[in-house]
Amino acid sequence: MGWNRNIYRSLIIISFIGIIILMLFGISQTLSYLNTGADRSSMLHLALQKEQVYLPKVKWEDTINPGRPMEKQTLLEIEQDYLNAWYIRNVAYQTNKTQGIDDYYTESARKHLAKSIGYNKKKNIAIHSTTTTHNIALDFYSADGQLAVITDTNVKEYKRVYHSKEMLLETHLKSDYQIMLLLEDGFWRIRHIVKEKKYNISDSIAKRNGIVKVIDGKIFIEDKEYQIKGINYYPQKTPWDMFGDKFDIDVIAKDFDIITNAGLNTIRIFVPYEGFGKAEVKTEKLEKLREVLDVAETKSLKVIVTLFDFYGDYSVLDWTLTHRHAEQIVSAFTDHNAILAWDIKNEPNLDFDTRGKEKVLAWLKEMIHQIKQFDPNHLVTIGWSDTKSASLLQNEVDIISFHYYLDINTFSEAYTMMNTKIKKPIVLQEFGLSSNRGFWSPFGPSEKEQANYYKQFQQIIRQQNIHYVSWTLYDFEEVPSTVVGKLPWRKHKQKHFGFIDRDGNKKQAFEYINK
Amino acid sequence: MKLRKKHIILLLLGSLICVISIAFTTVLQKTDEVSVVLLTKEKVFEAENPIVLDFKLNISAKTQLFVHSSFGSNVIGSDVGNTAHFIIPEFIANKKGVLSYILFGESVSLYEGKIHIIPNTKTKVCIETYIGPPSIIAGGWDYTMQVVIPTDAYDNPLPDSTDILIKHQFLDIEKERILKSKDMMGWANIFSYAQSGRMALFSKVEKTVSKETSIEVFPWLPKDFKISSNRKHSYADGNQVTEFITSVLKDEYGNVVSDGSLVEFIIKDTKGVLLHTQGSTINGRAIAKILHPDHKETWQVSAYVQGMAASDTITLDYTPVIDDFEVEFNQSNRKIKVGPLVSFMGQLIPDGAIVKIDIFKGNKKIDTKVTTSSEGIVRFLLPEGFYVSGNYDIQIKALGIQKEFKNIILK
Repeated sequence: MGWNRNIYRSLIIISFIGIIILMLFGISQTLSYLNTGADRSSMLHLALQKEQVYLPKVKWEDTINPGRPMEKQTLLEIEQDYLNAWYIRNVAYQTNKTQGIDDYYTESARKHLAKSIGYNKKKNIAIHSTTTTHNIALDFYSADGQLAVITDTNVKEYKRVYHSKEMLLETHLKSDYQIMLLLEDGFWRIRHIVKEKKYNISDSIAKRNGIVKVIDGKIFIEDKEYQIKGINYYPQKTPWDMFGDKFDIDVIAKDFDIITNAGLNTIRIFVPYEGFGKAEVKTEKLEKLREVLDVAETKSLKVIVTLFDFYGDYSVLDWTLTHRHAEQIVSAFTDHNAILAWDIKNEPNLDFDTRGKEKVLAWLKEMIHQIKQFDPNHLVTIGWSDTKSASLLQNEVDIISFHYYLDINTFSEAYTMMNTKIKKPIVLQEFGLSSNRGFWSPFGPSEKEQANYYKQFQQIIRQQNIHYVSWTLYDFEEVPSTVVGKLPWRKHKQKHFGFIDRDGNKKQAFEYINK
Repeated sequence: MKLRKKHIILLLLGSLICVISIAFTTVLQKTDEVSVVLLTKEKVFEAENPIVLDFKLNISAKTQLFVHSSFGSNVIGSDVGNTAHFIIPEFIANKKGVLSYILFGESVSLYEGKIHIIPNTKTKVCIETYIGPPSIIAGGWDYTMQVVIPTDAYDNPLPDSTDILIKHQFLDIEKERILKSKDMMGWANIFSYAQSGRMALFSKVEKTVSKETSIEVFPWLPKDFKISSNRKHSYADGNQVTEFITSVLKDEYGNVVSDGSLVEFIIKDTKGVLLHTQGSTINGRAIAKILHPDHKETWQVSAYVQGMAASDTITLDYTPVIDDFEVEFNQSNRKIKVGPLVSFMGQLIPDGAIVKIDIFKGNKKIDTKVTTSSEGIVRFLLPEGFYVSGNYDIQIKALGIQKEFKNIILK
């Protein structure tokens, strides 16, 4: 009896404490809920997060207007809010939700948007869209600085229309708009937006006066035919992190000597998208890239620069950010003699399954167009991972690049097939064999087999006169997990593709690096 | 059994025919180029009117219409057939601007075109008016801007060159003007007049009139002004108050400056010390007050509206209230009684007059005591604990008079 009593007692006490804890928790949750949004600093929109999410190319044609001279600060604010309005609208049409619309459209304007988005929602239509260029002119700015009218001409819009998951249509549009903006609560909000036909400026890509040219399926540099004999290059100590903290130009210069002494004339290097700072490219990274290119020039090496390494978003809303990334890098080296080609992306066809083929192709197509705008002097290519994909976008690129790691015996056939279909120069941009015999791969190729592989490959290359870039100069000690995943046998394989082993000795294959 | 066989054969045959016909039609569809003719001839539509786009297709196909207009893009469906009939939803048909459309089927664009939707001027006009800045300065060079945005009933800005009547009233002036709209709106700068006051503004487009809006026209900076003083008597009794009064502060157009303009008075006494008092204007006049000095003094007073205007300088003399006072030493000179202090008519000085004694030993000042008068009398006590026995010099100051007592012996 006594025991039972104690158990009951303790149960009552424990449940009492439990109820008290629950009540306190409930009260505190209610209080903290009531406090959300009551932060005074948020009232004036002073502490808005100002991360750049939308960066189409914006050009102010002029700010001359009859109302009032425009201040620089206001101009920036108008531009920022106007672009945000586009971004928010793009997001709204993509998700069919109207979040954020209130901040960038006045009460009367947002009604129209809500109707339109509601209509699409009912029909299960989603429109993924972005704008890539804006040419803005200020028409009017009121004396009290509260109202502005702008004209935005030649707005290049890209739209992909989906019905549930199925893509219905993809389209590029060019439109002109006149927009009235009102300053409300610290936001320049769109009051009226009218699509108009103002005037049409045809935009042509700057004429190719080209340091590097393609004529009749052949590559010419300064009017001399150029045969690519190249190698993919990473410094031995810093693979996949060439421009990181351990960047050492002396090491790179020595490696370039090895490459030129081996009789090669081209290297392929990689520019990581995030490592270079995404939409705001870091100047120190650009400087490092410039150093590399300068050294390459002194060693008479041409460089294929692969952009957007480790990039994988491709979503329409992300387009403008990648455009700015490309702009800053590419336009910095428009006149650089060391560059042979901009390789837009390494093996983008591997993202077809996860990201959607149409998404990836649309991004690539637009990116080719963008890069050609920024740099008319150099070639543009895409490093496809197989021969099957090589014909994609062949009209857009200047040279076709593909990678080949399959059976060497089927190469000739695959190459000939491809060559008959494609009229542009074809570059075998990656090939090689890992001499990875060892614990993780007891039956893998030995160094001797690797040497044989290259010997055989060089014969085919000579016969068919193929542009080639082999993979790669060095065996690596470490391979980051981002490259081939975490599995040790896959990493192990990736470590042994080199012509030079970990200790700096030339492997047998080195003899066949160029012949 | 037989029946079954028959059935099976029939079923097989039927499905075969089906397959072949489907294959045939798909092959036909694939090989046939779809050609499209637009049947709708109109290119310009007025908002509100229904917009229907009809297309004729050479073969039967499922098509949809992608439309892109001012506020975004939509997809409009149609029924299958070899005519495609699209009714543009009202919310698109009612909005001004270029509407581009793409007729497509199976991800392929079949026909592209454009129509214009123009605002409907027959509907009731709506007006939005923005006026700013809301306050300006008199004088005819400062201005406010009146912006009028006329729209039709569907919130479409009316076309350029729409007539906008604007009107404003100020005192007994009423002026009107007709503006032609451009860039969605009409605007005008309304300049101030010489007078200050309130201006009422108004606008009208067709039959729609706006509300009355008003702005304030404030006077311009005050001009230099004059000051005068007012006091109950001219004695330096440290008790009465002297008032300084400005003339009515006006700007150069004769407008009385806004109430609350701050006027600062600077007083310079005979020693060159600056005293300060201030007042703000009501009906153009500012009044500031200051206590009389307690000794003979000559004040030079001038006033300023900081950074804008200054006054002339006036001089005020204060005559002393006493020539002399009595001093009595008691209790071995340790108790000092000053007074009675009498004022100009012989009356006791009002309580609070300051009396100060300085005590010297040898030639060194060892202490200063300050007390205020009560009923004309001031008493000082020099206690033994603080002042050892010996000879002291004592100076007594009251109301500008100073007395000295040498070799006072404290026991």
